[in-house]
Amino acid sequence: MTIEAIRTEQTSITEEPYYEAIRDELEVFAAAYRNQLPVLLKGPTGCGKTRFIEYMAWYLKRPMVTVACHDDLTASDLIGRYLIRGGETVWVDGPLTSSVRNGSICYLDEIVEARKDTSVVIHPLCDDRRLLPIEKLGELIAAPPEFCLAISYNPGYQSVLKDLKQSTRQRFVALEFDYPVAATEQVIIEKESGVNADMARQLVKFGAMTRNLKGSGLDEGASTRLLVNAGKLMGEDIAPVVATDSAIAQALTDDGDMLKAIHELSRSIF
Amino acid sequence: MTDESRQNLLNRIRIREDLELFTGGALSRHANVDDLISRVAALERSQQDFVYEWCELIARSNNELAAHFISLAPRAFSKMEREGVQNWLDESITTFDNRGLGSAIEVLESVDAYAVTYAERHMRCGFDEASVFLRHFVRGLGGREMRIASDGETFTDTESLYLPDAVDLFPVPEQNFTLYKLTAAHLWAQTWYGTWRYQVVEKLMRHFDAETTLPIFNRLESIRLEACIARDLPGLAREIADYRDDDVSTSALWDAWRERAVELLGEDASAEDSLRLAAEFEGMELPPLQPYHGDMYANKVRDALFARIEREKADFQRAMNELNTSEEGQPAGEGDEAQKQMVEIEMTEDDGGDGSDVSFQISIDGELVNVPEHLRELMGSIIQDFGEIPDEHMDPSELGQYSDELLAQAGEAESDSDFDPDAKGTFVYHEWDCVRQRFRDDFCTLRETTVPAGDESFIDETLEKHRGILKSIKKTFEAVLGESRLQRRQSDGDDIDLDALIEAYTDLAQGREMSEYVYTRYRNQERNIAVMFMVDMSGSTLGWVNDAERESLVLLCEALEMLGDRYAIYGFSGRTNKRCEAYHIKEFSESYTSEVRQRISGIRPKAYTRMGVAIRHLGQLLHRTHARTKLLITLSDGRPEDYGGYKGKYGIEDTRHALLELKQSGVHAFCITIDNEAQEYLPHMYGTANYAVIDEVQKLPYKVADIYRRLTT
Repeated sequence: MTIEAIRTEQTSITEEPYYEAIRDELEVFAAAYRNQLPVLLKGPTGCGKTRFIEYMAWYLKRPMVTVACHDDLTASDLIGRYLIRGGETVWVDGPLTSSVRNGSICYLDEIVEARKDTSVVIHPLCDDRRLLPIEKLGELIAAPPEFCLAISYNPGYQSVLKDLKQSTRQRFVALEFDYPVAATEQVIIEKESGVNADMARQLVKFGAMTRNLKGSGLDEGASTRLLVNAGKLMGEDIAPVVATDSAIAQALTDDGDMLKAIHELSRSIF
Repeated sequence: MTDESRQNLLNRIRIREDLELFTGGALSRHANVDDLISRVAALERSQQDFVYEWCELIARSNNELAAHFISLAPRAFSKMEREGVQNWLDESITTFDNRGLGSAIEVLESVDAYAVTYAERHMRCGFDEASVFLRHFVRGLGGREMRIASDGETFTDTESLYLPDAVDLFPVPEQNFTLYKLTAAHLWAQTWYGTWRYQVVEKLMRHFDAETTLPIFNRLESIRLEACIARDLPGLAREIADYRDDDVSTSALWDAWRERAVELLGEDASAEDSLRLAAEFEGMELPPLQPYHGDMYANKVRDALFARIEREKADFQRAMNELNTSEEGQPAGEGDEAQKQMVEIEMTEDDGGDGSDVSFQISIDGELVNVPEHLRELMGSIIQDFGEIPDEHMDPSELGQYSDELLAQAGEAESDSDFDPDAKGTFVYHEWDCVRQRFRDDFCTLRETTVPAGDESFIDETLEKHRGILKSIKKTFEAVLGESRLQRRQSDGDDIDLDALIEAYTDLAQGREMSEYVYTRYRNQERNIAVMFMVDMSGSTLGWVNDAERESLVLLCEALEMLGDRYAIYGFSGRTNKRCEAYHIKEFSESYTSEVRQRISGIRPKAYTRMGVAIRHLGQLLHRTHARTKLLITLSDGRPEDYGGYKGKYGIEDTRHALLELKQSGVHAFCITIDNEAQEYLPHMYGTANYAVIDEVQKLPYKVADIYRRLTT
């Protein structure tokens, strides 16, 4: 229940992940990487932050470690801990430590979800020192130039308990993500889900309709990810309205009137 | 005799035997039993089962009633769905219990009348049932936010969609509901596809006789709009086709019109084309309106449209001016220099369709700027009216209209009864001057007073009035409280924390001291939150808003007492910088006593809204309490405003500055407002995620508690 409990994937991405650039985020990230600056990805859920990092890992040809942060994630989950093996104590590196040692890209997804003490360990890594102190070992690891720390954060959350502190955020180069413009989003849906251009265009239109409802009953509109999911269902010959109902409407809300409205909007288009 | 008819005969004999048996022979006393049996035999299987089942049940009370039920059941099924038949039967049985057989049979025999009233009651789709759905639906379709209202007539004035009180055209509620939806969608289409563009309305009012032209225009536009809908919303178009009047002569007439107005079916057709064609169609027989069509009232449209154009033009110029200023990093209005920027707006059509799905890019002096959400919506609305942003909206001579107000700010606010800054309970605060880009030191004098006690019965009335809501608030708050979580590394607890134990063991193996914190325990999470409620007591809250604020506070206090969060409540108001007031209602250290309740009840509207100084003062109070999370929640009804130029940009910038100061000291700020225009300035003041706009005052009490729960979990 220790290290395995965190989803750690040190992967080398060999195939080019599909990614459509929205603005100049590729260039900015590459420049930050060359200058050994950590990167903060801001944006609503499902707009392509994780995919972007995967793409950059492929582009920069670095292995990548993803840690999905949750509210029980502590500093030692990131750094590592002693275990007992055959009566001996053995040190096991955590994902962050192994990432620093290997010089890979370490991506902490939804950092605000993690416990507050995690920010303490990433601070010295994020300024010009680029050091990871491992208290238990009495070691101070200097990060190699290839190492890169990236974190993601959704500024739309309204909980005051889940906010990124200034002392943390001011160490990062921040990239803002948002849902792509209609034409780009259509291409993304086509490529990702395999539906035809016509269907993708209608899905984009449907996405825009749900985003119109943001603030008037919905907390968030449909993300690009949800639209792709609906497209994938349609690719399996699920009727469009059923696909949008299950992949999008039900995922967005439980409110009866709102579900009905989204259902009828879907029926209007398809 | 064929097999089939033999089977029929056997069926009938069997049914007759069964029913005779159930009714103890009462059935055979009825006339035309044979005929009746054939009608029962002709019912669907599920209906027959229903008849059998109930016949047996009723016969236990009275055979005669059962026999009457059988004799009328086929007729009832021909008039109503199963649910209606069940209701009809239930009523008869109740009548039998209360008033005897005669009356019960009367109820059964009046099945025709019953079916009619039942249909009226249950088949129709009422406005109240549909309105929430319709609002979401129309909002989702796109365009400016539309009010959904019910009215005797069905039309739109481009601000609201007026719909009938109820739709009961069809025998099935779902169909009536769909018709409601189609009616709303058709009216929405008028506002979205440019039926009421400014140019059209003006031409219509100026050159045409509305009386004769409008009915023709309405029909031609319907033809055009349905073609637009068919292109963009094929699903909706299919439904519209299903709901058209299928009377032969009606459809022939519509077809004839459609054929003659074929140019309206093209993608480029506009409402002006319909208007032009209207002259040609004069004198032709009008096809009857379809069930989902509404009427047209050009006068009402004109009133709403012109008022909106003026309002939005001013809003747009103000927003552009603010955009200019923030881009330049210096205030406009310092002279003519700031106003000579080149502002360009470029529109890109996303869809290549009707010109309504556009996205904007604004550039100032050739540099692209971010378009804020409210401006985007505003421009969307303007384009809905004009098809573009008219040049006169961009007229630079009208930009910077705030500069005068800003300059007028300079210390005019001295007055006789100002507070003495040295008196006890009086505080002095600075204020941010966005024109000079510096603080005015010791500019505001604030006095802390206590709200006079009001009538405590208000509290009981509120609790009574919102009993249901309070229950659900308490329930959700309880859930927050009951959210137990596993605490690791405890000195004692329910289970062993394996991680901690292994760690401790390794320490031991290495010769270090072993930790005693090796247990896990489920415990409620300790909440360490201090929250300050800052209540707007400005004059504009008079009436409903004040009531809603007080009611919200009552419900909130009940809920907060349960949570155990530390909280304080202060009101604020003021008139000029020398007479700002903070009204003490409840301190952090005070418990929710009868005095506090009386003070809540005694909250009354006072003067103006000088927000910055209130935030600074209450921030100080918050600062002195100890809590891990500190929160300042403002309940307000509008933008900051006070005598002496504290309005518009100046007020907003000072408030924003006060909030930034607050944030730096570790306090989170959140604003709950009922100002519908809050989108324009709240994101700038509080940040995009730190405010909530509540569209109906009545919902405030519930929403405030709900928002608080969301904020702190």
